[in-house]
Amino acid sequence: MGSGSIIDISNAYKTFGRNIHALRGVDMQVAPGEVFGLLGPNGAGKSTLVKILMTVVRPTRLAGTLLGRPVGDPQTLARVGYLPEHHNFPSYLTGRQVIQFVGAMTGMTRQARRRSTDRLLKRVGMWDWADKRVKSYSKGMLQRIGLAQALVNTPELVLLDEPTDGVDPVGRQQIRDLLLELRDEGMTVFLNSHLLSELEMVCNRVAIMVKGRVAMQGTIEELTADSRRYELRISGPAPDWIDSLPEVSSYLEEGQTMLKVRSQEAEAIQPLIDRLRTEGRAILEIKPVRESLEDLFMRAVSDDQGRFDGPGAIVGDEGGQA
Amino acid sequence: MTQTIALFIDAYRLLNARKIFWFTLILTGLVVLSFALVGINDQGIRIIAWDIEIPGINTRTGWTPEYFYKFIFNNLGIGIWLSWVATILGLVTTSGMFPEFISTGSIDLILSKPIGRFRLFFTKYFSGLLFVVLQVCVFCAGSFVVIGLRAGVWLPGIFISIPLVVLFFSYLYAFSVFFGILTRSTIAALLLTILCWFAIFIVQSSESTLLFFVKYQEQKIATYEENLERSRTQLAGVENPEDRERWDFLYQTIEARENNLEEALDSGSGVRIAHTILSGAMTVLPKTSQTLDLLSRWTVDMANLPERTVDQRPPLITEDGEFEANEAEIGRAVEDEMKSRSPLWIIGTSLLFELVLCLGAGWLFWRRDY
Repeated sequence: MGSGSIIDISNAYKTFGRNIHALRGVDMQVAPGEVFGLLGPNGAGKSTLVKILMTVVRPTRLAGTLLGRPVGDPQTLARVGYLPEHHNFPSYLTGRQVIQFVGAMTGMTRQARRRSTDRLLKRVGMWDWADKRVKSYSKGMLQRIGLAQALVNTPELVLLDEPTDGVDPVGRQQIRDLLLELRDEGMTVFLNSHLLSELEMVCNRVAIMVKGRVAMQGTIEELTADSRRYELRISGPAPDWIDSLPEVSSYLEEGQTMLKVRSQEAEAIQPLIDRLRTEGRAILEIKPVRESLEDLFMRAVSDDQGRFDGPGAIVGDEGGQA
Repeated sequence: MTQTIALFIDAYRLLNARKIFWFTLILTGLVVLSFALVGINDQGIRIIAWDIEIPGINTRTGWTPEYFYKFIFNNLGIGIWLSWVATILGLVTTSGMFPEFISTGSIDLILSKPIGRFRLFFTKYFSGLLFVVLQVCVFCAGSFVVIGLRAGVWLPGIFISIPLVVLFFSYLYAFSVFFGILTRSTIAALLLTILCWFAIFIVQSSESTLLFFVKYQEQKIATYEENLERSRTQLAGVENPEDRERWDFLYQTIEARENNLEEALDSGSGVRIAHTILSGAMTVLPKTSQTLDLLSRWTVDMANLPERTVDQRPPLITEDGEFEANEAEIGRAVEDEMKSRSPLWIIGTSLLFELVLCLGAGWLFWRRDY
């Protein structure tokens, strides 16, 4: 990626106080028109990174650009939409007023604000509630208004921090569809979420942050390539010769054997199938399997022994700048 | 400009949504209405249809309806209602503005927009003064109409109270904003602001009290010097050097008066030093009372009212050497001293303090991570 990136940052450091190291050298690139997912356990530094991009938090050190201009350039912010995680819209405003206020703060003209607000209220399904005060809204409704305000200025990049938080399954489906529509319209979406299954459905690329660093970054295909395998379920116990095949592991389950073949290619399992059929073994099921995003996530946040060593940023001198 | 207008509209909506704003506005209306129900005649004060005789306050003693209404406007309307009750209600209403503004979830949204932090801070700061601007505008417009209809004089000069009351409120509001940003707590901002207001009030009251004592001492010293001089003249005028009795009496009198003068000079210098220290503190601090006193100074000047007559009896030393002051004259000297302080000095130094406080708050707002 590089020069054509919507977000292109390297060496992002943020230390709160003297020894809370929220970011410890983050490098990240987001391409135009993609839905990019940012994952990580609590305290990994995801929100800090988003806040740095939005100039809410000042980085300790950072080199990089947002929409081709240095991060922190105020004029760039007019081309960006943002939904904060724990947003707190003024309770005395109506949904319509919230969207229009945000539009005004991005410098939109009154006419453009009105047009955009009406369009977005319909798009997020809040038209009937538009003139009610936000204090009467449910969490899901607030999220919809939050999405609408993030899109009011028709941004080139929209950063959404937990957009489906508190939204019911139907609402989540609608938000997912909206995100895909936005991507199809050419908007770049930067998504910060804990709902891995949802990210898996909409994201082109993901980054997993752990303790202030990017542990993995790439398309889901790329990241799960090593974990791809085929699973064959056969009747009866495993044949004796299976143990001589290093790429195959097996276990017996309720009178059936599950064979796991570590291979990305279908051709690799054909000799195994032929041999099983020659021996007259019934093959009950064959399926290609790859790691889910959740598996990938758990792998990224666990140590070599598979233990998750708890949430939170690095505290102390050892987490300092490289 | 779009952003500035949006922030001001937002501030208005915030006030509009707060019951205390409307409660204060209704009370302001009632205060103005109560003006309309009060009048003055040759018997005393008339409230609706009831006459209340108050010695010295009637049209026979020089109280014109114009002066009467100005007196009520300045002393009750501005002096008590706007500068105490409405100000406290105003601080209660506005002290939460910045802590709420910088709370997580609110500030993120605003800071992510293309507006500089300093500009955002100062726009929000000025929009917070809307509360008092609206209150005082309603009060002045109502009072203007009431005085016009009841006293038959139309006094556009009373509208000078709009900037003065806003200025007065802004001194306290600056404290509220500073503490609001520092502590992020509405309660802490309100309590600390009231504490500072009280401290300023104490310093101002002490300064004017000490000024009274300075003038008292000056009068005392001048009287002692005058008496001493008189005794010396008398001593020099004793024609018969053999008149030992007369000579001794005058000599002892001079000695006693010299001692009295010395004591007065000693205590006078102590009072003067204390007053100088408090004056120095006052120079730095915002002058809340003195700012509002400008209103009285200007509106009374505009009415061209006769000055009150003061007791013309001179200060004297009694036969047993005690000093009896002419307090009316001291009061007038204090008043003259107060009036000699220029509006530019009063408002300028107060605004300077406010600016420093604002810059401090703005700096905290600017540098903080949210």
